[in-house]
Amino acid sequence: MDPSALIPVSDTIPTQWGWFYFFLLLTFIMHLLLMNAMLGMGIMALVKHLKSGNKHCPVCKDISLKLPYTIAFTINFGVAPFLFLQVLYSQFIYTSSVLMGMYWLPVIALLLIFYYSAYIYDFKYDSLPGLKLFCLAVTVIFGLVIAFLFTNNMTLMLNPEKWSAYFENRSGTLLNLGDPTLIPRYLHFVLASVAVGGLTTAVIWRFKKDPRATEYIRNGLAWFSYATLAQIPVGLWFLISLPTDIMLLFMGGELLNTILFITALGGVTLSLVFGFKGMLWPTTAALVGTVVLMVLVRDLVRQAYLAPYFHPRDLEVVPQYSPLYFFIIFLVVGLAVVFYMLKLAFEAKREV
Amino acid sequence: MNYPVWELFAFSGGFWIAIIAIVHVFVAHFAIGGGLFLVLTEMKGYRENNPGILEYTKKHAKFFLLLTLVFGAVTGVGIWFAISLVSPGATSMLIHTFVYFWAIEWVFFMAEIIAIFVYYYTFGSMERRKHLLMGWLYFIFAWLSLFVINGIIAFMLSPGQWLETGNVWHAFFNPTFWPALFFRTFIAIMLAGLYGFVTASWIRDAELREQMIRYCAKWLLAPFVFMLISGWWYLQSVPDGAQAMILGRSPEIVPFFQAFIVLSVVIVIGGLLISIRMPGGVKRPVTIFFLMIGLLYMGSFEWIREAGRRPHVIYEHMYSSSIPVEMEQEINEKGMLQMARWVKHDRVTPENMVEAGRDLYNIQCSPCHSQDGFMNDIIPVTEKFGLFGMDAMLDGMGHLYDYMPRFMGTRDERKALAAYIVQGIHGKDLQVDREVEVPELDFEIPPFDADEDEYVLLAWNTLGLKCITDCDDYWSMLPPGNTLYAQLVRRDFMPEIVTRGVEITFRPEEGFENPADHVSYWDNSKSLAGRELPENISAKGLGMQGKMSLNEDLWTFVADGIPVVPYNDDGSINPYPFFYIEAWDKASGELLAETKVVAPVSAEMGCNNCHGGEWRVDGKMGIASQTASDVLKTHDRRHDTELMPRAEAGEPVLCQSCHADPLLNAPGEPDILNLPAALHGFHVHYLSDREGAEACNACHPSDPALYTDCKRGVHATRVDLNCTSCHGTLEDHALTLLKGEYEAGKTRQAERHMSLIEPRLVASLDEINPRIPWEQQPDCLTCHQDFQQPESHEVSAFNVWNEEVGELYRLRTDYMGLMCQSCHGATHAEYPAENKFGRDRDNIQPLQYQGEPYAIGANNNCSVCHTMEMDYEAHHPNMLSGTRNR
Repeated sequence: MDPSALIPVSDTIPTQWGWFYFFLLLTFIMHLLLMNAMLGMGIMALVKHLKSGNKHCPVCKDISLKLPYTIAFTINFGVAPFLFLQVLYSQFIYTSSVLMGMYWLPVIALLLIFYYSAYIYDFKYDSLPGLKLFCLAVTVIFGLVIAFLFTNNMTLMLNPEKWSAYFENRSGTLLNLGDPTLIPRYLHFVLASVAVGGLTTAVIWRFKKDPRATEYIRNGLAWFSYATLAQIPVGLWFLISLPTDIMLLFMGGELLNTILFITALGGVTLSLVFGFKGMLWPTTAALVGTVVLMVLVRDLVRQAYLAPYFHPRDLEVVPQYSPLYFFIIFLVVGLAVVFYMLKLAFEAKREV
Repeated sequence: MNYPVWELFAFSGGFWIAIIAIVHVFVAHFAIGGGLFLVLTEMKGYRENNPGILEYTKKHAKFFLLLTLVFGAVTGVGIWFAISLVSPGATSMLIHTFVYFWAIEWVFFMAEIIAIFVYYYTFGSMERRKHLLMGWLYFIFAWLSLFVINGIIAFMLSPGQWLETGNVWHAFFNPTFWPALFFRTFIAIMLAGLYGFVTASWIRDAELREQMIRYCAKWLLAPFVFMLISGWWYLQSVPDGAQAMILGRSPEIVPFFQAFIVLSVVIVIGGLLISIRMPGGVKRPVTIFFLMIGLLYMGSFEWIREAGRRPHVIYEHMYSSSIPVEMEQEINEKGMLQMARWVKHDRVTPENMVEAGRDLYNIQCSPCHSQDGFMNDIIPVTEKFGLFGMDAMLDGMGHLYDYMPRFMGTRDERKALAAYIVQGIHGKDLQVDREVEVPELDFEIPPFDADEDEYVLLAWNTLGLKCITDCDDYWSMLPPGNTLYAQLVRRDFMPEIVTRGVEITFRPEEGFENPADHVSYWDNSKSLAGRELPENISAKGLGMQGKMSLNEDLWTFVADGIPVVPYNDDGSINPYPFFYIEAWDKASGELLAETKVVAPVSAEMGCNNCHGGEWRVDGKMGIASQTASDVLKTHDRRHDTELMPRAEAGEPVLCQSCHADPLLNAPGEPDILNLPAALHGFHVHYLSDREGAEACNACHPSDPALYTDCKRGVHATRVDLNCTSCHGTLEDHALTLLKGEYEAGKTRQAERHMSLIEPRLVASLDEINPRIPWEQQPDCLTCHQDFQQPESHEVSAFNVWNEEVGELYRLRTDYMGLMCQSCHGATHAEYPAENKFGRDRDNIQPLQYQGEPYAIGANNNCSVCHTMEMDYEAHHPNMLSGTRNR
């Protein structure tokens, strides 16, 4: 069956595709950083609890306080790129979601348990140590499961040639398990989470006037650096698991792809160097830069996958720009109010 | 049809959307009203300088945060997930149309999160004024979220001007935007009180607890009147079609609308009762119970709103099946399988019919129907159907009752979908062999001595076939009552039609004397006929044997109302039992002449084709209980009657007690369509555009493959005309009746049907000639102009009706006073007729008097009556040219 015959017809868009593309990448970067911090800190706390038992763990305690609203913001910042993704790629993402609907819909239930567990971990941190560990484990495991399902969906949407399996199985239980990129891609993101989680704790403790803060900063940076080091073979595995023609686009096949990829690798190298040297802010800067570049690379990979079928520029524009202007105005006003509220909160001298 | 369909079976039909949406909405509205509640309650605490209230506010804030921020937010994303899985096409449309509105809502959502976190985590540690500002900011952003989402949700019910302009601002600020916004705002405030009850009931200090409960009661009750007023405004703003749907046209909504009204009362009374002082241990479960009432309240409102846009998901733009309205015609022309993407077969073949039907089911049915599940379970509503009935149901779907979309696709695709439902879902055989063995019965021709006999006795049945509805425990529209006519001719040079000094009697053949043993009409006669009838006596007072009475005007003896049924005492079924007709000299008692004639009667009404059940008797005919009760249940559901309960109470109804019908001289109710108009006008929607007499055969006993095969006359058997040749197709036929009712003043009732029916034999409704059922029929002379042979067999007698009742074939005479039917035979059995139960069973008198089956006197058989050769066409022109139908 010709895969392109299965690809649904897309709806029209109200502004040039570039706007959505910009907002998609911008908000996805935010989501990715928050998600990595959230999952990474969870994993880090779990490992620390498992290693040290019931010993006092200020880093864990701090993570327990931060986790609920890191989750809140991860979800919030997930909504925006998911929205813009649907605008540009509705015909792909809806289709793959339906094909794996039996796993995709339960993501909501998993997310609720994941989220409430994090709250219990926070609220019962001191009073119920056994429960806290269990809840943290639930949060981490469910987080990893959700990530795995997202990886499946994000790769299944790129492979229309696999969609005809629907005619043999319409029960929504198709995953993209046969895809050679699935596992390295998943591990790539999980390892990145561990790294960013470590770095986040380092940044947090940088602002604390605690006598052991330096130790925790160093520890956080170590988590970052070793996880990033482990990323080298995993990243390589991911790279070579890509279809050859796509892989080669980043190895000289396409100038833009190659430059971005090499620059991103440069960012990784820098962050590793800074990380091992214990240079917090340069590491952070290199990491953020790397994430931005990697998000761009990731998007080029997506475009390369879909190149035989579609590019967002193909979308028909039926122009209605005024809502865009309102969005920009509300975004600016909203961010201003948010900063004002955070300012008041910090002035209240309580940790938020 | 653009996207693959997730086969969920029991959980399809939008189950997940409904579940997630209702709980989300219940929490999301609380997230708005509750925000106002927090900040105003905090102010109250400050104002009254009451630390207890502040402590309560902080605890309530924690509950609020955990419920709205976690459950509310995640289930909000959940709706998004669910709709994109179940209705990806509609979701995509909403996302693309409103993308920046969603994006703006995301900004508000982000600000809400920050505000509530800051509010909760700085409670008591931030300066009061600033802390209250946080509360106000939370509420403002939460309400703005509602502002945005409300526009999109209201759009789905009332797209308004957007349908013409495509302008997204028209879409957003649509006709129900403002009333819905006010309505939801008041609901949100009420919910704040409802949730407040729960947290307040946990306050340990009894005094404070009661104070806060009463405080919450004000939150619940104060906005109530405003909520009702805005609700009324909301309802008035809904498009007319949707409003009618909400106010009763959709049976899906009625219980929810009633629930909403009842729960409104419960909410008010409950709000007052809950303020009565009671121990915390009692109050806590009561408040939780009351919260659940609130969930039902909210759920019923959302259900009404969602179902109100049926058959659309976006009113008048996109059907519930996510198919854009504008594509309907193209789909009907090209075929759904050709247009759809995620289908295995692009056309229906005999081999793939069920499988192709599955694809069509997924696209058109599963968005709203589950299988053995919770949402509009398709199993119970289709289990009665065979292939024909299911196909008919799909044919009429969405026409008269437009809360469902019409079927979209070709005729073959419709059949394939029916096949999937019947076989794929219900596991029934598609090929139901309905052909039956018909016994060929021996009979003798009565004697006639052309040289000696002085009289010729001609007898016939007027209608050609009398149908009976033998489901008398449930209903009746055709009670037993056959009509036989007879004319006695004294043979002579100038023969005489004898009406004086003679008696004509009738009696049935053996085995048919006791119809009461076979049908329950007499058990129910009080209810059906208005009085207790003696067994085997019809409502007109006639029994199975007796004397015929003289109709002076027609010079004809009449037995009107012989309650014959087709069931023989020996267990056999014979729709053509003979009656012996004998003429006696009144004075001497001498038998002057004798003959016999069939009194055709059949209970082979095809109701079970669509209403389920089998034939009542011996797999051949009769309306079974299951069929009859389904007819009543359907009528009760559609017309808000109580016919089934009445039948169960032993009081079945005669349809003509409400529906006028000239056949029974029933005046009926003045505002209700007469029975033929109602029956044909309703069922035509389900039997449209059929070949030949297929639609007629579905209900009437005219199918040549079945038992009765009532069309025995020469027109059907030798000229190959069918019902439609004279009566028109079902569409045309129904329109003549409906237009008759329209012109009789029943405009609204008739218009409802007529507006949905396209005539087939004439160009437009204007060309349809209205008629009164039974009193106006096709006229033989329309084709046989001046009694001549029609130019070809391609003729139509449709649309030309007799003006006077007396001009009907069954009441008309020739120039000499002989009735048309006396020589030409009964309607639908014109000589030479052919009967499956014995070829010449309907030709008794032609054979008796002239030895051949043609019309009496045909082929110059004048000697049947005349004692000398005749060469003058005295009875009607062209009678001497010889019969054509040998």
